[in-house]
Amino acid sequence: MDFASLSTQLLVGLSRAMILFIVCAGLSFILGVLRVPNIAHGSLYMIGAFAAYSIFTHLGSSSSGFWLALILAPLVVALVSLVAERALFCHLYQREHLMLLLFTFALMLILDDLVKITWGPEYCSVLAPNILRGSVSMFGASLPRYNLFLLIVGPLVAIFLWLFVNKTKIGKISRAAAVDREMVGAVGINVSWVFAAAFVIGCFLAGLGGALVAPTVSICLGMDHDIIIEAFLIVTIGGLGNIWGALVGSLIFGVTHSFGVLLWPQFAIVFPYAAVVIVLLLRPRGLLKSVW
Amino acid sequence: MKQKMVLKIFIIAILPLATAALFFSSCKKAPKIERPIKVGIIDCYSGPPAVYAKDALNGFKLALNEINKEGVLGTKIEYTTRDTKFKVDIGLSMAKELVMREKVDLLVGTISSSVALAVSDYCKGEKVPFMVWISKSERITGEKGHRYVFSTGENTAMAGKAGGVALAKKPYTKYWIAGDDYEYGHAIADAAWRNLKKLKPEVELLGQSWWKVGEPDLIPYITAILAAKPEAVIFCTGGRSMTNVMKAIKATGMAEKVAIWIHTATDHAVLKPLGPEAPEGVMGTMDYHFYYPDTPANKEFVKAFKEAYGEPPGFPAFHGYITAHFIAEAFKKAGTLDREKFIDALEGLKIASPVGEIEMRACDHQAVLPMYLGVTKKVPEYDFIISTDIVTLTGDEVMPTCEEIKKAREK
Repeated sequence: MDFASLSTQLLVGLSRAMILFIVCAGLSFILGVLRVPNIAHGSLYMIGAFAAYSIFTHLGSSSSGFWLALILAPLVVALVSLVAERALFCHLYQREHLMLLLFTFALMLILDDLVKITWGPEYCSVLAPNILRGSVSMFGASLPRYNLFLLIVGPLVAIFLWLFVNKTKIGKISRAAAVDREMVGAVGINVSWVFAAAFVIGCFLAGLGGALVAPTVSICLGMDHDIIIEAFLIVTIGGLGNIWGALVGSLIFGVTHSFGVLLWPQFAIVFPYAAVVIVLLLRPRGLLKSVW
Repeated sequence: MKQKMVLKIFIIAILPLATAALFFSSCKKAPKIERPIKVGIIDCYSGPPAVYAKDALNGFKLALNEINKEGVLGTKIEYTTRDTKFKVDIGLSMAKELVMREKVDLLVGTISSSVALAVSDYCKGEKVPFMVWISKSERITGEKGHRYVFSTGENTAMAGKAGGVALAKKPYTKYWIAGDDYEYGHAIADAAWRNLKKLKPEVELLGQSWWKVGEPDLIPYITAILAAKPEAVIFCTGGRSMTNVMKAIKATGMAEKVAIWIHTATDHAVLKPLGPEAPEGVMGTMDYHFYYPDTPANKEFVKAFKEAYGEPPGFPAFHGYITAHFIAEAFKKAGTLDREKFIDALEGLKIASPVGEIEMRACDHQAVLPMYLGVTKKVPEYDFIISTDIVTLTGDEVMPTCEEIKKAREK
């Protein structure tokens, strides 16, 4: 157990945490502003990955195709979510949580089947651009370049989110709506459109996560189920509706997983979940302040 | 006079015709089968496994087209398919429906090992022959084998033994085992390690990593394995995890640091979608390649398959193809549609195949298939990575012996 392996393991864990953070921040944002536990969030993440695949292959599987896919795929997901919000969600905000839970669950099943119809059951694969392929040597151990790229993208997304929530008008309104939506409506703001914007931004992040993860995995049906359980756990331990809670939760999840693999590889699956249990025992409402 | 002549000619002409007609009509009665031979196919035709199931079905159809041109016992082989949706209960009820309502002569299927084992059990009770063509559990023809079940595909015992035999010839002694935490992964690992240890007792297992099926992020596993510094790693993975493993190997440059063996890593279905992101230098075993062996028989099969379906055959297509030929040849040998006689005929039957003669081993009803050990490499002829430096391990080398099967069944 030398320094090299510990540091690579830490960096690898952090890079996974970045993907989790981007997806969970979106989920948490929707939870905070709209109070909707969106189970279909994982499906939007999957659509992001599949859309990235389609855009990438249409552009001749080139490096520039990857960069365009990275920008366009989340926009495709944002568009899908805008349609879903305007057509379906906006009529349901007043319902109780159980109804919303059932509704988003149904939406997840529908989106799954739509993905199957659109892209078929085959495994798809996206290539990372040339400069992100292979690995670099760090501290005497090798680290994939793509993971380093994720380590740069993650904080960038976090900074943009912070600027958006704290510095823009719509960010401030959505924060206010999260705390007291009636008051926001009372001062003459069209809450419906604030909600729509918040929903689309949250889903954009899911799509971005899907597009970012695309070159590292086989894109296939079922990847939505894998992430949605982890995402809800992360959002819960971070504090429901708190974006920075999602960041803390993702870091805990990613790092405990990668160190678990190093320490006890046969039972590594257990470590992040054990961390979740410990956090919830000590702080049942999550680590950071929950807006619920 | 004239009248007599006419009569004479008439008799001379008619008599042979009449006797011939009589002879042929009597001939017709004995071996001629009035109805077509019915094969019931149950497999998963929805979801990701459907890709493999359809490939197998295409191979089967291609063979039937050839077979039905000349016919079997004066009749044709027909088939009906049912979708199992990868579920045991659905697979089982489909099998029952085919046997009881469709009155099929035998069943063929399936990609799921659990479905195959359940249907096998049902067929044992109903005394219906069942030929397994894709699923790889060694228990099908091993400990759970019986008179009515056959396998035309390779299984985890053969794959693992092939890995063990291949690795024993290499100089490595420090090993790590990693894989998907489900039956397929553990079965391959057990068989590979058991055989490797037997052939080369000095090998040492440094540790194991098992991840959940479909685990999206395998990089931490790879970096942790590299930190332990083994000389060789045995990966036991398949399906969607295979792509993730191959991508993680490529991204970390693992293949340049340690030796790696993965069963089916050299499969075209795995390598093609990865394109240039498939790692080179990974050892893999496979029971069929469309580009190897480079024999006229294989070329002909690949050409016919490409013409019919637009792409080269995968290993399931090869299994489907030989399954059809085993069925046809066994019925020809039996001379009847009787199920028991069909089984007797199939035991020890040898057929010609694209990769040479293949025998259906009588003791365990497992087709004796060779295993091709190769290394992934980029070659100028193809725009995808292929298996090169292929060494053929014969069926006898990679299969458990009849005594081992007997012992497993007695348990």
